[in-house]
Amino acid sequence: MKAININPIVLILVNIIAPTMYMFISGRYLQLFLLIFASVLMVMMGRYKRLLGFWLVYALMMGFYTLTMYMGDLQYIGLFIIVVVQCVPCIALASILVSKYNSAQLLSALETMHVPRVLVVAVTITIKYIPTFKREFSYITESMRLRGIGFTWKKPVKSFQYFIVPQLFRCAALAEEVTAAGLVKGIDAPLRRSSYFEEKFTFADATVLVVFVVGLVGGFVWKQM
Amino acid sequence: METNVKKENVIKADNLCFSYEESSEGISDVNFEIDEGEIVLLTGNSGSGKSTLLKCLNGLIPAVTEGELKGLLSIEGEKYSDLKMYRLNQMIGSVFQNPRSQFFTDNTTAELVFPMENYGFTKEEMQERLESLKKTFGLDELMDRNIFSLSSGERQLIALASAVTMKQKVLLFDEPSANLDYGNAMKLGRILKRLRDKGYTIIVADHRFYYLGGMIDKVLFMDEGKLHLCNSEDEFKNGDYNTRSFDLFSIDIPFREKENAGEVVASLENVKYKDILNDVNLKLNKGEITVIVGDNGAGKTTIAKALCGSIKPDSGKVDTKGLPFFIMQDPDYQLFGTSVKNELELVKNDSAAIDHCLEYLGLSKYKYKHPFDLSGGQKQRLQIGMAMLCDRDLIIFDEPTSGLDVYSMLSVSKEINRLRDKAGVLVISHDYEFIRHIANRIVYLKDGVIEKDFILDEHGLSDLNNIFKEMQEDKNV
Repeated sequence: MKAININPIVLILVNIIAPTMYMFISGRYLQLFLLIFASVLMVMMGRYKRLLGFWLVYALMMGFYTLTMYMGDLQYIGLFIIVVVQCVPCIALASILVSKYNSAQLLSALETMHVPRVLVVAVTITIKYIPTFKREFSYITESMRLRGIGFTWKKPVKSFQYFIVPQLFRCAALAEEVTAAGLVKGIDAPLRRSSYFEEKFTFADATVLVVFVVGLVGGFVWKQM
Repeated sequence: METNVKKENVIKADNLCFSYEESSEGISDVNFEIDEGEIVLLTGNSGSGKSTLLKCLNGLIPAVTEGELKGLLSIEGEKYSDLKMYRLNQMIGSVFQNPRSQFFTDNTTAELVFPMENYGFTKEEMQERLESLKKTFGLDELMDRNIFSLSSGERQLIALASAVTMKQKVLLFDEPSANLDYGNAMKLGRILKRLRDKGYTIIVADHRFYYLGGMIDKVLFMDEGKLHLCNSEDEFKNGDYNTRSFDLFSIDIPFREKENAGEVVASLENVKYKDILNDVNLKLNKGEITVIVGDNGAGKTTIAKALCGSIKPDSGKVDTKGLPFFIMQDPDYQLFGTSVKNELELVKNDSAAIDHCLEYLGLSKYKYKHPFDLSGGQKQRLQIGMAMLCDRDLIIFDEPTSGLDVYSMLSVSKEINRLRDKAGVLVISHDYEFIRHIANRIVYLKDGVIEKDFILDEHGLSDLNNIFKEMQEDKNV
């Protein structure tokens, strides 16, 4: 089966709507629905590896939850996990958003949703900071190892400080540099931004959204019954 | 006699002054004119006001940096103060130094269309412009790639191309050579010359300028916030400004005295790693400063990583006496202390030794400052201080002089020279001037193989020069 391309707007919308629905719809129904919905979407997009990872995490967490239900005094951990597990499908879809689309594509997607420019830029920079953070994280841990400053549980606060302080300074510097990089490329132009990567809202995108909405409506019906 | 045909003034500064809110540094009484089609070098040592002037030119002062700006700066007859940032950036293209942050996206194509999207180009216009950029800069191989997977030279090319997407005719470069190897810097010089011939006006701010030799029309030399203007390259060369050298191969620096190499502190035997290192054999001795030279991507940093155990070679043996002290290129990732003193205490808690070390490095007055408040050169020397205090047998430096002015480079050289009394030193560098100041021994790495390994003395010098010439020829376009 050929992998289909999903407009990033669809993923963004799903990620905004799905978590808020827990307020209105039966949790058990929504959990099952999101699990199936996210899985099918990932198969359609051809993200098999990510799907496997997603299932693995999901299964492990559910297994752990079930286990704790039999052990009276650990139930509170189980309850914590069952709350976290609700977010896993959304996180899986969000991770595709970050890995598959570059910042220009995200910027265009948000722009077509008529989100204010200031917010668009802020969100894009934040999303793109994740891979940067990963890279910087590995530099810093490596350099801590070479300096012989390891993480020790004896002094957790001190160890954490060694790690977090340079990171904060880097963030501050990076924020300024990224702002400069955006400014010299005309990010402040008061014009309607165009898009090279503009993806048309396709039939597949619409179908995915319709299925998603129908599923949610189903949740309301379920609740009534 | 102003009746002669006068070239068009592109940029003009009239009594330009800027003072920062938080520090005393700044610039004052800056007057100059830049004509169309000139290559202008903006240089000066750290803290001279070079970066301040550059920020005034690219508009980040006053857009981002706060302070008091006075005087007049104009471009093509329009006052900067009347221009909004996005208008200015249609006239001026900026190329920054830092590969991490000068790109807004992580995909080459996305990066090139990014400015055009901001200015609302149609897709057809963008495609047309992309095609022409591809042709001008030879980018066919580089389209739709991850920017972080590119080599430094390729990245520079993308940065340059993205700076002219709006057909800007004035180009500003901030330390373009800092992250380029010798061959790529020389190549950049040739590209700049071609752009100049096409009518671009080019302003390069850099400490090192050997790659611009013979093509500079004007030099703006900043010293303590004041401008010294030289109207030709020769005038600048003949003035006694203490700067980095123009003609690298003619500099005269005494060779390090010969010493019998001490015990072996580390060795690599038939080391292979992926397709980066191929059968590398190397023995490093105490009391010796070995410099690895080679193009970016030749495997220099991989050797350092193998010695530190950061990577496991596929085959072969790496032998070190304990963990080496590795000073990586970017100090910002390696400073963890809450103050300069504390930073050194993390290495060795001996306050007498620390005081002595700070005294020697001239950093005593910064003892209680946060390491991140130091300048680039001071951070580098703080790291050398850490190396002086550590009890490791091998100390490795990766490009310790990138972005350093002549004074910092000379003090770093002096201090690294002293380290060999207590350890073996391995330096990765493509800074020719610096190499001449410190090297006992040169190892030339090419495509993962050690091509040459020799002592740097009267006989070795021509070998070293040939290596640099070879690196340049490989990049001929």
